[in-house]
Amino acid sequence: MKWLWAPLGAYFALPLVATAVMSLWQGRQGYGFHAYAELIHTPEMWNSLLLSARLAFETIVAGLAILVPAVFWMNLRVPRLRPVFDFVSVLPLVVPAISLVAGITAIYTGPDWFVGTANFLVVPYVLLALPYTYRALDVGMRALDLRTLTEAAQSLGASWPTMILRVLVPNLITALLGAALLTMTIVIGEFTFASILLFNTFAVYINHIGSTSATRAAALSLLAFLITWLAMLGVALGGRRAAR
Amino acid sequence: MSSLEAVSLHKVYGGRTVLADVSLSLGEGEFVSLLGPSGCGKTTLLRLVAGFERPDGGRVLLDGRDITGVPAAKRNLGMVFQAYSLFPNMTAEENVGFGLRVRGEATEARRKRAREMLELVGLGEHMHKYPHQLSGGQQQRVALGRALAIRPALLLLDEPLSALDARVRVQLRDEIRRIQREIGVAALFVTHDQEEALSISDRVAVMERGRIAQLGEPAAIYEEPTSLFVARFVGQMAEFDAEIDAGCVRIAGHTLPAARAAGHAPGERVHFFLRPEHVRLVAPTDGLPGVVESRTFNGPTTTFRITLAGAGTVLATVPTTEARHTPGETVGITWDPAAPRILKLDGPAPAQDA
Ligand SMILES: Nc1ncnc2c1ncn2[C@@H]1O[C@H](COP(=O)(O)OP(=O)(O)OP(=O)(O)O)[C@@H](O)[C@H]1O
Ligand SMILES: [Mg+2]
Repeated sequence: MKWLWAPLGAYFALPLVATAVMSLWQGRQGYGFHAYAELIHTPEMWNSLLLSARLAFETIVAGLAILVPAVFWMNLRVPRLRPVFDFVSVLPLVVPAISLVAGITAIYTGPDWFVGTANFLVVPYVLLALPYTYRALDVGMRALDLRTLTEAAQSLGASWPTMILRVLVPNLITALLGAALLTMTIVIGEFTFASILLFNTFAVYINHIGSTSATRAAALSLLAFLITWLAMLGVALGGRRAAR
Repeated sequence: MSSLEAVSLHKVYGGRTVLADVSLSLGEGEFVSLLGPSGCGKTTLLRLVAGFERPDGGRVLLDGRDITGVPAAKRNLGMVFQAYSLFPNMTAEENVGFGLRVRGEATEARRKRAREMLELVGLGEHMHKYPHQLSGGQQQRVALGRALAIRPALLLLDEPLSALDARVRVQLRDEIRRIQREIGVAALFVTHDQEEALSISDRVAVMERGRIAQLGEPAAIYEEPTSLFVARFVGQMAEFDAEIDAGCVRIAGHTLPAARAAGHAPGERVHFFLRPEHVRLVAPTDGLPGVVESRTFNGPTTTFRITLAGAGTVLATVPTTEARHTPGETVGITWDPAAPRILKLDGPAPAQDA
């Protein structure tokens, strides 16, 4: 089986290496960090990255604020609705992104700070992250004896908010972290919605750069990959720490 | 003054009556056990008192105050659960201090109280451990400390020992009783283990299908069952169909002594109950004859299973030092006339204790 590692390794490593080489190419001046230097000095790059980061943060907060109580309530009070939750949670994976966009723009109404700005993207992003956030939270909560824990907290005098903040959340920290990091990678990499709704997010910017400068596009892709990879590492480490 | 008073509680789940007209009151500092087979409604009754469920009828009073509509979080009752219920993210000390923290008590006072409670349950040096670093018995001790830290008006325990092994169970149950006495808090303790209930309670409520079949001191429950259900459920008793015969009973053609036959009309058909420890083994001609079927060594006592001609089997428990019979041997059995219990064929016997 050892010989399998070589082609497998090549399969994963070659595109990365090729992208890295490409990003370092400087035409007649040979190789160097010119593309990276240029990127760093491009305000649009920073703007798009900041926008994506902000959207990721907002999506995480909105998604968790909706799903933590919902999954908690489902597990505690109506576990027989689990199949319904399971089904709904995978819909965003089944419905093509393009029809989601069409559907969402149809309900494009609301206050200006919301529909008039990129904040609106939080709505489809929460939907896109739903399958992952839901899974992470459900697995985390099923590992706890929710009923006994909540009743113990209640009998000790804790209100529902106290219970959620002091008992539920601390015991779900791994699940929450996992959900947050997965959401972040999804939002940073999302292209379809942002592009169609004409917002300049990080992924849209990568695409735009790709049509103007191949080397900078390669450098940016590599950066995006790095961010994703760090997020994954975060999930893995968080999981290990909590499993101690 | 009674600390808890449950007044004709009713509970219905999906059309099924789970509790029917249950009334119970606990005196101050009293330890009462709810004993009964699985599914008889013990946990349901406890949960109504705790406030996790609402009754479909009846009221719950605490120190004379109606708390039927008060949410669980505002009742100030200490609860120990069957399942391990410690908060996994907190140390033993933090778990015990949780109730005080929720009440906004100052950090120092909280710590001090938590330490006191952990000392009380014998876990002083495990204060900084997390639940997963404690054994099952230790976790239940912490849970007890946590329930007591809030100075509850009443302590509720739902089979807190059932997940523990036999040795720890006995040790911990005695300790629960000692601590409960020391603090002087009234306690309602659910169990399906009769030895547990009889050994640590001031009073025992035997429950049968959503009703309290008998409520009384452990000795009264054991010695004076007032219904067939209690007679059959608590301890082991030989049971015979018998007929009253002028101050005696007739079983399978023999006229036998039973002081309690006096309360029944001659010719009445009754149930006759006899505990193994009341049976004496004598020569075949001096008692009701039977054949020794088997012999079981229990340590201090030995139990014989004896088949009586035409009447069924009876168990006889005697001190091992006096156990001389062997299987196959024919013996006679006899008993103190005051020992047998007699119950009517249908319906409960007249109440014998309050
Ligand atoms: N939430 C519920 N919904 C429907 N039925 C219930 C519910 N809780 C309890 N029951 C039913 O009520 C009856 C009494 O249950 P309860 O838990 O009080 O029994 P128990 O005496 O504590 O038994 P065990 O010794 O097994 O714990 C059972 O038949 C049970 O199936
Ligand atoms: Mg129960």
